[in-house]
Amino acid sequence: MILENVVDERDFLVIHPLDDVQEQKVETKHLGPMRMTPAVRIALLALRGYLVLMMLLVLFHALDLAGMFGKA
Amino acid sequence: MNRCEIYSSAIPATPARGVVVRKPWARNLLTFLMVFGPGLIVMEADNDAGAVSTYIQAGAQYGTHLLWLLVLLLPITYFIQEMVVRLGIATGQGHAAMIYSRFGKWWGLFSLVDLQLLNFLTLVTEFAAIALALEHLNISPLIGVPVAACALTLLVLTGSYRRWERIVVFLCLLDLTWFALAFYARPATGEILRNTFVPSIPAGGLTASLVFLVVGIVGTTIAPWQLFFQQSCIADKRLRFADLKWARLDTLIGAAFTIIVAGCMMMTGNAALSHGFSFADPAQMAVDLSKVFGPWFRTGILLLMINAATLGTTAISLSSAWAYGEVKGWPHSLQKSIKDAPGFYGVYVLCVGAAAGLVLIPRAPLQLIILSVQVLAGIMLPSAIIFLQLLLNDKEMLGERFANKPWNNVVNWTIIIVLFALSLVLAIQVVAPKVF
Repeated sequence: MILENVVDERDFLVIHPLDDVQEQKVETKHLGPMRMTPAVRIALLALRGYLVLMMLLVLFHALDLAGMFGKA
Repeated sequence: MNRCEIYSSAIPATPARGVVVRKPWARNLLTFLMVFGPGLIVMEADNDAGAVSTYIQAGAQYGTHLLWLLVLLLPITYFIQEMVVRLGIATGQGHAAMIYSRFGKWWGLFSLVDLQLLNFLTLVTEFAAIALALEHLNISPLIGVPVAACALTLLVLTGSYRRWERIVVFLCLLDLTWFALAFYARPATGEILRNTFVPSIPAGGLTASLVFLVVGIVGTTIAPWQLFFQQSCIADKRLRFADLKWARLDTLIGAAFTIIVAGCMMMTGNAALSHGFSFADPAQMAVDLSKVFGPWFRTGILLLMINAATLGTTAISLSSAWAYGEVKGWPHSLQKSIKDAPGFYGVYVLCVGAAAGLVLIPRAPLQLIILSVQVLAGIMLPSAIIFLQLLLNDKEMLGERFANKPWNNVVNWTIIIVLFALSLVLAIQVVAPKVF
């Protein structure tokens, strides 16, 4: 029996998301890479700087452990 | 107005299973219960083995003096995960897929590799905690760890998202036991209330040890895998646009529950401090406190440690499997059978199996692994949050409805700057302790 047939006008039919018809989501496929606005550019530049700093810290630690800066 | 609604359904033409209710409140309650899950799971799974250790250590060192910090972290975790909810519902895609498609291959690969590595190392720490708790329960890890790994694998192999979610929500609710432990071990109510709502620095002042513990608590409460996990989970559950407010409520309840459980862990650690016990790990503390509160206290803490690690393992492994599946374009859903999504389940099984196997190797470098987790988390969290924030400002993709509002941006950029600074402090402390 199809539920739609028994739902009367005063009722609500609550459907679990997994049982529901899949809805159309925002389209992302045709967009391609994000536009490089100044805000995006600055944020990614800051991130690159942060990652370079972290890599330098790891390198420093590795060299320290290897005894390059005196007692390991 | 016609009251008959096919609630939340965009295209009601196709027959679907559903429940008919007559009252609006019943409709709201039922819809919420159907949407409920990802928010609670992502938050509570973050109270994993590492979190148990950190919160208990905080309690054991500073008593209840850092409870206020947890209250501060509640809105922070909520606001970050709320962005993930919006992105997941709007796009129906996971976080890794979004980074790949909007920021290109380099950043996509960087995020994926970093996430997989960090997740794997974290999984090793989860199994190490399981092994430790089992040892104190007089069960050989050589038997217990493989059994746990098999159980964790079977949990996802049923081909039903709903079954997995129900079991994991049940495991989350088992953490209510922390309330009982905290109730028995609690200090005076006035002290709890004062330290919860009035920020204060513990006696001894602002020492380096306190700063690093604070950074550790923040890092434990907000983990990179959470962003990837919740977005993929929402996509897998196929939450609809109309579910957004319920998914937000789910996330808020999850955040509040997790923070309260974390507070209970701190109060349990505080009991060790007030009874003069010093310990190396939570399992040892459980043994010590059983002398005061009885053997049930020890068993309770040890079982909760295993539960925390189990929750962490299934969520973290799934975040890895979902992310890899999204990027590779493989079928990646808990709704699919092993036959239909072999790559997705393969990544999950590989993560769980390899981490469990590594823990069983005698003299495995666990200390090095814990150190690596901290450093990688320091690298991963700021970058993942930056991508999240940029994606939520992508009006070309999300439109006005789902994109951040100006007040969202003020709140989120403030959180990001604070997290950047804290991650940097933690990473410097781990990598170059001589700096401080």
